[in-house]
Amino acid sequence: MSNAYDFPGGIYPPERKQRSNRSALTEAPLPSRVILTLQQHSGQAATPCVAPGDTVKVGSVIAKREGMISSDLHASISGMVSEVNATQISIEGDGQDEWLRLPPLAWQYVEPHALLERLNDSGIVGLGGAGFPTHIKARVVERHAINTLVINAAECEPYITVDDLTLRHHANEVLEGAQIIAKLCGAQHIIIGIEDNKPEAIEALKHALSNSQPISIELKVIATRYPSGGERQLIKRLLNLNVPSGGLPADVGVLCHNPGTLLAILHAVRDGQPLVSRVVTLTGEAISQPGNRWVRLGTSVRELLEQAGLNTPELHQVIQGGPMMGTPLLTLDAPVTKLTNCLIAATIEELPPPPAESPCIRCGECESVCPVALLPQQLHWYARAQDDAKLERYHLFDCIECGACSYVCPSHIPLVVDYREAKSRLRLQRIETAKAEHAKHRFEFRQARLAREEAEKQARKEARQAQQRRPSNTIAASSEKVDLRGLRIAHAAAKASVKKAEKTLARVAQEDPKQSLDDFEMQLATAQENLKAAELQLAQAREQQSSEESS
Amino acid sequence: MYSSIDVIGILSAIAVLTGLGVGFGALLGVVSERFKREDNPLVEQIDAILPQTQCGQCGYPGCRPYAEAINQGDALNKCPPGGEATIHALADLLGREPAPLDGEAQSVAKVAFIREEECIGCTKCIQACPVDAIIGAAKLMHTVIEDECTGCDLCLDPCPVDCIDMLPRSAPLNQWQPVVAHSSNVIASDRQSAQGEP
Repeated sequence: MSNAYDFPGGIYPPERKQRSNRSALTEAPLPSRVILTLQQHSGQAATPCVAPGDTVKVGSVIAKREGMISSDLHASISGMVSEVNATQISIEGDGQDEWLRLPPLAWQYVEPHALLERLNDSGIVGLGGAGFPTHIKARVVERHAINTLVINAAECEPYITVDDLTLRHHANEVLEGAQIIAKLCGAQHIIIGIEDNKPEAIEALKHALSNSQPISIELKVIATRYPSGGERQLIKRLLNLNVPSGGLPADVGVLCHNPGTLLAILHAVRDGQPLVSRVVTLTGEAISQPGNRWVRLGTSVRELLEQAGLNTPELHQVIQGGPMMGTPLLTLDAPVTKLTNCLIAATIEELPPPPAESPCIRCGECESVCPVALLPQQLHWYARAQDDAKLERYHLFDCIECGACSYVCPSHIPLVVDYREAKSRLRLQRIETAKAEHAKHRFEFRQARLAREEAEKQARKEARQAQQRRPSNTIAASSEKVDLRGLRIAHAAAKASVKKAEKTLARVAQEDPKQSLDDFEMQLATAQENLKAAELQLAQAREQQSSEESS
Repeated sequence: MYSSIDVIGILSAIAVLTGLGVGFGALLGVVSERFKREDNPLVEQIDAILPQTQCGQCGYPGCRPYAEAINQGDALNKCPPGGEATIHALADLLGREPAPLDGEAQSVAKVAFIREEECIGCTKCIQACPVDAIIGAAKLMHTVIEDECTGCDLCLDPCPVDCIDMLPRSAPLNQWQPVVAHSSNVIASDRQSAQGEP
């Protein structure tokens, strides 16, 4: 621990990991039916590419990624698609477990783009909890130089032992997965951060370290404290680097990956096996055989818990995720997704409902435990008052929702619930603002188009009149004095605004190629329409003037 | 001698001050001409607060004309799509008193929906749409692009066969908002005294 630095705050909740880390990692029985939700990752939901009645094998693509940040989805059992709707796909199994694998790749020798394509085709997302698509994360090197790959095996949240068991059983493979990502991102260092409450996993890693090629891997054991597994907190602890507010670890040259994700990456590259199963911790006092299982995605939670000896009368609630950051499941018929790392079947004595909320007494406990050094009680007041400007100023969006503040609050205020609600309200507001801006651009474009059409019509009319006039050679009484100077100024201004719009478009496109450029393109089109209209008016005025002079 | 110095001093002081006045006057004139802004920044700010539905319910042809009118001193409460929130934001920006909304507030965001089997393809709604959100051609069925529609109602009146409905906007799952009911934040003694009152 001599190398460890420190992040502020943190708490020491009861770990309760012994219940699930005593038994070995086993395979859960093959489910007879799976339900695969289309949104198992951050970003946009996938689009189904199968219809009811189609037969699928394990690993068949059943939904394609949609848009930039999204991920493919694969069948996790072989059988027949029974239902496809807006949010999920159901598959009835045939019990055969026939696989459809991609060709294996030798990662040491293939080109990076082939590796990226494989990650994309395998539907791999971050299995630690956020579910960010791995192929997008790997492409971060296009814009940031990556120096260090951090393997985040801290697993600080109580109850969860997924990474612990994964490392005990598959340490070599996890490290090989890390070598793949290090090669892909050009990282020169690999560091494993692990809490000292997992001695068996540390032992397994020590054995595996010597075999790992070509980059040597450093193992850093840190003291157990919640939430040292947070990405920013772990980077601070291991490397003493501060990830900037609103930034990514890539901004300081670091990439973080979870051991489960690295294992899935190796399986995808070496074995051609897409992400169709994951390790899930089954724990809690209401089941008799706790432990970690390899579970096919889409397996029903009820089925899993019943196989683990669920004691239904004792069951109070099932929590998906850990007790600090997880969410209670409203129904046991929910399926396991790529993001389900832990299922806690808790009795009422184990995780009792929180006592009634009392008013904030400004004790300041929450401030002393906040790992991001925010002011939770100020945020609490502003969130309740919906004071959006103040929330932004107190960096609401830097909150990692770790729940340390709610845990220590003597008034039992569900602080994180407040923050989540405020965050989703602010996000919606941003979407609405962007939408209004978009509508404004479309309106302006339409106005410009109508003006141009009007100018064209006028020009045609004048041309017709001029043709009729010429033979008879009558002097047209110009109804109004032509304001040639004003039109020239308008024309120059329109030209300048086209140039400005072009420049803005080019600058934005260069700064962030991922961003949607629709609005900027539309602004450019609007400026061009305005220019055309001005040109027409100017030409027409000149015509008129010259005809007046000649007559 | 004594008086001549005095006169020179006074004259030079006048000359210097006049020179300064002329110099700075010229500078200000040049700067105001050189860095002249065509658009009014306050109008831009007002326009940014308005919801950009371009519905014309305020009596002006679009949001920007209304923003200009507000800048000229028109009332703040003529925007039903914006509702109370817009009125308060405008009142904050301009330092005026917020007034109750003139008209009926919309409870939910709506979009136009064309019953396509009834559409006769007259293109009248296409011409009415301020944001080009309706596609179609003469004698062919029209349809509304939901993402682009601002729910301004302007296509309803021109439709000769009344085949357009205003339906609530469908929100994708990632825009779902939690419904949280907070207990009122009064301290216990207040709560008891409030109950004690008749």
